Amino acid sequence: MQPDDLQRSLAPKLGPNLVSVETFEGLAGRVRFRREGALDLFRAVRDDLGFDHLSMVGGIDWVDHREVFYVAWSDAEHQYVLLSADVPADDARIETASSIWPSANWHERETWELVGITFDHHPDLRHLLTPEGYAFHPLLRSFKIHEPEELEVKTRHV
Amino acid sequence: MSEMWINMGPQHPMTHGLWNLRVRIDGERILDVDPEMGYLHRGIEKISEDRHYNEVVTLMDRTCYVAGLNWEHLYILASEQALHITPPERAEYIRMLCAEFQRIGSHIMWYAAFVADIGLLTPYLYGMRDRDLVLDLFQSFTGARMTYEFMRVGGVRNDLPPGFADQARKVLDWLTDRFREYDQLCLGSDLFHKRCDHLGVLQGPDAIAHGVTGPPLRAAGVKRDLRKDRPYSCYRDVDFDIALADSADVTGRYLVRMEEMRQSVRILRQVIEWLEHHPGPVLAERLPRWLGAPYAPVGREGYVLKRNYAKGLGFSSVEEPHGEAQAYVVNEGSEHPYRVKFRSPVFANLSAARQYLVGYRVADIPPIMGSIDPCIGEVDR
Repeated sequence: MQPDDLQRSLAPKLGPNLVSVETFEGLAGRVRFRREGALDLFRAVRDDLGFDHLSMVGGIDWVDHREVFYVAWSDAEHQYVLLSADVPADDARIETASSIWPSANWHERETWELVGITFDHHPDLRHLLTPEGYAFHPLLRSFKIHEPEELEVKTRHV
Repeated sequence: MSEMWINMGPQHPMTHGLWNLRVRIDGERILDVDPEMGYLHRGIEKISEDRHYNEVVTLMDRTCYVAGLNWEHLYILASEQALHITPPERAEYIRMLCAEFQRIGSHIMWYAAFVADIGLLTPYLYGMRDRDLVLDLFQSFTGARMTYEFMRVGGVRNDLPPGFADQARKVLDWLTDRFREYDQLCLGSDLFHKRCDHLGVLQGPDAIAHGVTGPPLRAAGVKRDLRKDRPYSCYRDVDFDIALADSADVTGRYLVRMEEMRQSVRILRQVIEWLEHHPGPVLAERLPRWLGAPYAPVGREGYVLKRNYAKGLGFSSVEEPHGEAQAYVVNEGSEHPYRVKFRSPVFANLSAARQYLVGYRVADIPPIMGSIDPCIGEVDR
């Protein structure tokens, strides 16, 4: 599958919410989309294009905005596709993919706590790698690893 | 009976690392589970942003401490794509040699720990004995037995020592015989079958929906192996079969791992043969000079980029002993990666714990969770 195939198949479904489809060596392509079209895109990518295995979700802090990306695998095509959306830093939220791909659950929990991107309608958005009550998003550029941070840990079971 | 939550972990013989499996039980029956991770989170992705590309390799050994070379391989492939560097072919073959020996080492480690979990102690000692031979080989060319720091952007650190091929063949011959012995010890034991057959069943469609990869997925009969489906390094040039089972239970995962070790031996014989007849450089000749530069905290002052090299994105995916690992490297034109994201196969395999466990009994938890081969270092990163 080539970026042109992705463009042809996704453009009618997403309309203006499809920003661009770029080439990415070794992958079917890199699909950039607006977050309003997230669910439409996930559904189209899984059901129409056959990318039924969501491998990872992650986030990047670009300081002025944040990017959330998804990698999905198609067993029929033997290819990965990279989906990415920009979200504003002061309103970093996007619809959850876990209703389409259940495997997104933990990846989104991790992205939420480390990069500070909220996933709307996520069934279980709790801390995974950092302790409960941890108030920082360590993978943000503003988080300095060489400064001691005050940390108050609340345990859930007490 | 009354229902209750119990904690298995963070210190429990079942966990193989620090994590906590919260289990809701009614008598012996498991009603729900909730794995709690993070006890081993070291912020490897964050630390990577502050290091030179080659310095991240040190962290990769610590990501999964039984499959360090597979993780180095993964990270180096993504970095090379992001930095637009091509390694020499001999380096790719040496990486494959590392990856396959490491797969054998990791699987033997799994075998030893897993059978000890279900109460068979003899195979544990056999496994540890044989894994040492693989570690001796690693020591002969990397100088280390556990944290190797061997691969470099653009190749590998050094070539194999003289006489390595003969020594490696001897180890492979020894291991081939031992694999037969392993099977006799386990598959010939009633105890093994009583504790493993028809347990932790996870069928193909469920496994795919929950992101499960590696031996648990192949044990459900899904024919998927990145070394065949999306060949990296030189896997296109070697001949091997995908290990498969169809029972989708704990025994199936055992059979898949055992067959994978045999296939690794098959790959290794071809790789050693190739390496004997194709001498050459093991590190790319034209590399940016800064790649070998000593540690300098360039990125710290507000992450201002001091240099302006070619930008790039790198993505790699390798079949690690536990499943499919992925790396995404964002190169914004400085000596440090701007962002490194790793996908750990065990992370996804553990996130499906509810699918493996609910409906079984408390005593089934050690064999079922053991059959996933949980390596917590790479889950928490």
